[in-house]
Amino acid sequence: MLYRTAGQFKTSYAADQALFPVRQDAILLGLVLVLAWVVLPLTASEFAFQTMLIPVLIYALAALGLNVLTGYAGQLSLGTGAFMGVGAYACYKLVTLFPWLNPVVAILMSGAFSAGVGVAFGIPSLRIKGFYLAIATLAAQFFLVWLFEKWAWLYNSNASGAIQVPNLEMFGLWVAGPQAASVTQYYLVLGVVTLMTVLCINLTRGTLGRTWKATRDMDIAAELIGINLMRSKLTAFAISSYIVGVAGALYVFMWKGAAEPNVFDIPLSFQVLFIAIIGGLGSILGNYLGAILIVGLPVALNLVPGALGLPISSAMVEHLNIMIVGALILFFLIIEPHGLARLWALIREKLIVWPFPY
Amino acid sequence: MRHWKTWAAAAGVALVAGSAAAQELYAPNLAYRTGPFAATGIPLMNGQADYFTMLNERDGGIGGIRVNFDECETGYSTEKGVECYEKTKAKAIVTQPWSTGITLQVLPKSNVDEIPILAPGYGFSPMADGRVFQWAFNTPSSYWDGASMILQYLEQEGGSLEGKKIAFLHLDHPFGKEPLPFLEAKAEEIGFSLVPIPVGLKEMQNQSAQWLQIRRERPDYVVMWGWGAMNAGAITEAVKTRFPMENFVGVWWASHDADLRLVGADGAGYKAISWSYPVLDAPVMQDIRTHVVEAGLSQTSEEEMQGVFYSRGVVISMILAEGIRAAQAEFGHAEITPSELRWGLENLNVTEARLAELGMTGMVPPFATSCADHTGHSGGWMLEWDGEKFVKASELLKPESALVSELEAREAQAYAEANAPWPVNETCSVGG
Repeated sequence: MLYRTAGQFKTSYAADQALFPVRQDAILLGLVLVLAWVVLPLTASEFAFQTMLIPVLIYALAALGLNVLTGYAGQLSLGTGAFMGVGAYACYKLVTLFPWLNPVVAILMSGAFSAGVGVAFGIPSLRIKGFYLAIATLAAQFFLVWLFEKWAWLYNSNASGAIQVPNLEMFGLWVAGPQAASVTQYYLVLGVVTLMTVLCINLTRGTLGRTWKATRDMDIAAELIGINLMRSKLTAFAISSYIVGVAGALYVFMWKGAAEPNVFDIPLSFQVLFIAIIGGLGSILGNYLGAILIVGLPVALNLVPGALGLPISSAMVEHLNIMIVGALILFFLIIEPHGLARLWALIREKLIVWPFPY
Repeated sequence: MRHWKTWAAAAGVALVAGSAAAQELYAPNLAYRTGPFAATGIPLMNGQADYFTMLNERDGGIGGIRVNFDECETGYSTEKGVECYEKTKAKAIVTQPWSTGITLQVLPKSNVDEIPILAPGYGFSPMADGRVFQWAFNTPSSYWDGASMILQYLEQEGGSLEGKKIAFLHLDHPFGKEPLPFLEAKAEEIGFSLVPIPVGLKEMQNQSAQWLQIRRERPDYVVMWGWGAMNAGAITEAVKTRFPMENFVGVWWASHDADLRLVGADGAGYKAISWSYPVLDAPVMQDIRTHVVEAGLSQTSEEEMQGVFYSRGVVISMILAEGIRAAQAEFGHAEITPSELRWGLENLNVTEARLAELGMTGMVPPFATSCADHTGHSGGWMLEWDGEKFVKASELLKPESALVSELEAREAQAYAEANAPWPVNETCSVGG
């Protein structure tokens, strides 16, 4: 009923190839955008900003970057955490070396460094595939984290070996560091994430995206129909690492405020990979759903016993939380192995034909 | 529908109950009873919680008001730590971050949120400079104090360190690197050679490479800045490679009884500097036994209560409780605000007499803080593992204040400059 597509005629090729051939999709997205841009900032508390909204967006962006590489181009990567680190350290060096630089420009520029490193570690992908490539990216993971620890220039040789975000100003407003208001940071993150998402949607629908998908589905066939595999794989590595690097810069500058090297160690890579897998490889929407499930849900669950007045100790809540989230991940993967995005697609298809399924 | 109503009613009751219990001091602890460091965390957290439970049960709290010593579980993860900080900061009078990583994240926010950070014996050594770090406290000893006391002890025992070689085995993490600036300065001054040997977070349990290097370097002493699984790894490896245990000295976080119990008598002679000491028959421990453990309000065990870490937890809570008391006395009301607690923590004066009143004689050296000195630099004792338990192996050692405070002022200034605009307490001039 709500999702009925009857009566929506396409009279031109452009209309048929539009981003939203079904009107309800556009309306739904509009509602989500209004929620994210207007309703949430007006109603959310400091706690919600800092523990749910901002991290969910940043993790979703990192997963989006990984999804370009793994979901669309089929190149398995376990080095996401380290590439996020490259973005974060590049951004730190940029803002400390050039204090006059606009913070948003610095964040967007830092992705370029990550892209460069990503391409360098992507070169083995021309020869090796699948699990073997995963090992090569794992090497990037270990090497880069080691570098963040040993290369004192990266953290301006301060005694603790950690990077600390200075107070950064933009048009008279604090945007990073302890002085910044959460709502400012939220809007900044949301702006960058929205921009990157629009870019990714269009990239994956265009020539480049089709090249990636062909490479993913069967690289020999892709090569035979004239796709340059080297170009296809390396652009995937570059664009993916760029997005991941920007996510890393946001992660430290817009959210954490400080980071030591081991923050970017392998658990972060796995977390982002899980978000991408549970959300759905080869989808844009999935990254958001996955991030909500893995990053947002545990925080919300932690609040439940307190809100109900149940006398459970905090450590017990944590144990329960781990069990519940783990069970949910299993549940979702069993009912739909292709991830949450696919689950939503199925629901949507059922809604379109509801109440008269055929 | 009916279920919803029940839940809504339950939530309503909870809200009412929450507001009715407003007459209390909310002192959250960012505890870690889960995760990779849980084994070392639990005794500390139990000691801390039990002291406040004891005060609530025996005296009805502090100044007639109960202390809600709530725990928020972090699992030692910085992300969970930030979550806990955000969750508790609305009501909290204090933040106890319990990890160097969380401290580093919360520290810059302290000027904005105006909640004191209490990080006894950990965190950032320059936090001692109260003029720059107005809201942070690492009473009663900083890591630089610890390094200074260790060097003094080594000089007392084995003569001048000139020309000797000290291997510095440390966790490759902000925490482990903390004492390096001090040790480097001292190495240059005295003329001993310092060999820093980092242990990566992934190599904590398998340190054969590091101990091979120690065997090759043949240092006179090994000084260890370790935490969690690293300590047990180092101690077992030292026993295996037959390193003379009496030349092996750790920081206070490397004095967990369970780590040493793994090697038992083979570990005899191992030492650790500490600003706390378990006095098993101290009156405060008796009170905890009667009011908390026997009443079934504690999660601790008899074996754990005899350890160094449990009693350190008790001492840490005592520091907070004394801060609350000082603030209540100064401002004349029981329900103090975070900024009033800051005043209290800046004006601690825990003398020998006060320790006797608290029933804690010998558990911590007497200390006092001021607005310029947030640490107290009260010194500590060298503890030695005798094969079964830790015993005091030295008189009270005092850190070498001149060099430590010079370094503190310099590093604090550098921190303030890197984080400009950083408010500095101009009115405070005590201690130059």
